[in-house]
Amino acid sequence: MINELAMTDRLAFAAAAAIYGGAFIFGLVTLLLKRPYSRAIMFALLVAGFFIHTLGLNLRGAQIKACPLGNPFEIAQFLAWSLVLLFFIIGPVFRLRLLGFFTAGLALLLAAGSFIVPSWDAPYPPGIFGGNHWIELHASLAIFSYGVFAILSLVSAMFLIQQHGLKKKQFKGLYQYLPSVQQLDLMAKRLLFTGVIVLSASLIFGAVFWIENHDLVPIFKLTATCLVWLGYLTVFILRIQKKLVTRRHAIATIILFLLAIASLWPVESARGTEPEPPSHGATPRIER
Amino acid sequence: MSDVLQSLFVLGTSHHATPLAVRERFALTPAQALELQKQLHAQEGIRECLVLNTCNRLEIYGLADRIERVDEVRRFFCQKQNLAEALFQQYAYSHNNLKALQHVLEVSTGLDSQMVGETQILGQLKQAFTAARDAKCTGNVFNRLFEKSFQAAKAARSQTAITRGQVSIGNVVVDLATRIFGKLNKSRVLLLGSGEVGEKTAQALKSRGVEDISVSSRTFENAHKLAHSLGGAAIDFADFIDQLEHFDIIIGSTAAPGILLTREVMARTMKQRPERPCFLIDLALPRDVDPAVEEVENVYLYNLDDLSTIANENLEARKAEIEKARQILKKHAWNLWLQLRRRELMRKV
Repeated sequence: MINELAMTDRLAFAAAAAIYGGAFIFGLVTLLLKRPYSRAIMFALLVAGFFIHTLGLNLRGAQIKACPLGNPFEIAQFLAWSLVLLFFIIGPVFRLRLLGFFTAGLALLLAAGSFIVPSWDAPYPPGIFGGNHWIELHASLAIFSYGVFAILSLVSAMFLIQQHGLKKKQFKGLYQYLPSVQQLDLMAKRLLFTGVIVLSASLIFGAVFWIENHDLVPIFKLTATCLVWLGYLTVFILRIQKKLVTRRHAIATIILFLLAIASLWPVESARGTEPEPPSHGATPRIER
Repeated sequence: MSDVLQSLFVLGTSHHATPLAVRERFALTPAQALELQKQLHAQEGIRECLVLNTCNRLEIYGLADRIERVDEVRRFFCQKQNLAEALFQQYAYSHNNLKALQHVLEVSTGLDSQMVGETQILGQLKQAFTAARDAKCTGNVFNRLFEKSFQAAKAARSQTAITRGQVSIGNVVVDLATRIFGKLNKSRVLLLGSGEVGEKTAQALKSRGVEDISVSSRTFENAHKLAHSLGGAAIDFADFIDQLEHFDIIIGSTAAPGILLTREVMARTMKQRPERPCFLIDLALPRDVDPAVEEVENVYLYNLDDLSTIANENLEARKAEIEKARQILKKHAWNLWLQLRRRELMRKV
């Protein structure tokens, strides 16, 4: 039964990745044909991918009896899911052209890329959060904030492309379909604000657990997480003070996101060395 | 009469073969065009007619009882305008039947325009059609013909890249401004100088939603006059540098012999508005803006050459689409021709 479920959730993740891939290829082909793509089709494809992705996460969550954030594979899947969810919030409200295309591309990279290394989906005991809702909330909020930072890095990349086109007097191709630099810059500012708030909230919830269980949180993980938070907070403060704006702001947020993703490795590997959190009884490890 | 529609014709002159000086002689005021239309319709044997009168073309569309009526129309027009028939004959063209129909479709699509693919002609044709219909100069054939030609124009435009990219300096500027600011209604514009190109560019921006336009010129009266016509305010030329930070789009169009906006000035200005981009359009010769300004962060500088290059590239791209659009229109023209003939036959039966 468990094996069947395991197959099913991986299949759902693979199907979601395939749909994101389809959306990305659809956008790419229409852009190569020098036409703007249909937003409705892009949106429908992302909705389909998101629906199957949610199903996959639900199945995985039901197995481990917690939010599926126990290994790099699950983190990547959750990150891709958060990214698409954020697109549904931002896309229709701000109508940023090509954001769907870029979202599909990054979601594909995360969702499909996580399949490359089989060991990333290593088995672990169910109930990894030991039934502690604070730490579960901390983990899900932290990954969700990474989703915000992922979409922020996409918006920043779009800003840099558009700015490059304007500075180099490029008029054709991708440039003509991208949103304006001012819109993208404003959106980046809002996303940074949102991401910093969500990550800060995540750290506060994590701190509640940390205060009570010093020994259970490795210093390596704590340092990496705090450095990412500090990095974003610094960029945020500099932005508020108008000292880090437009191009430099866009570059900073992309670099920070890459560092944040890279920091997941020490955070994750530290989990392997940390003592197991208190759980409600012995549960078998789920094999995949 | 072997064919009910064998007397559809168009007689006209356009920018293609007629020099401006000659076109001026053929030109009609809107009132004269309406009057001509009425008089032609009152002529014997003219069942329907429409006069299209724009700065680049004068065309008389007619449906007569026999094709020889075209010569009578030509004679009538020359007499009315006091023109030598030989002169008109030298520059005028005329198409009949299916070719005339294909011509209407090409004109409404903008294929025959000076700026290939421009959409203004469609509006002018619609206006001319409305006026002719209101004056009861059109009937079953022309009503269907022109309405279908508008639909065909829409189809050709959506199926080809004939209207893609802007081909006038003003519209290229508007496109660039949209890529920088998005919606333009909150953008503030400063026009330096009261030159014609600058004025047209400001007007293009105004037509796309810009509400706040200020003008600064060496001659304050000129600035005041132009600002008034643009619905904006005039700024003393000695003060404009101190107020640069308040403007998102700055158009340089003065006749000043030297640089007005240096790199230092713009760097200082941008420090006051680091988050908001600034779009500089240098339309002046010699230039008003130091090219080094381009290096300033968040400043986008375009001079006349840059804008012309973009406009010309777009125009070339449009021209490459002409044949594709023409093939689409040919199909529409043939279908429409069959429809009109069938309807006319039915009507006669």
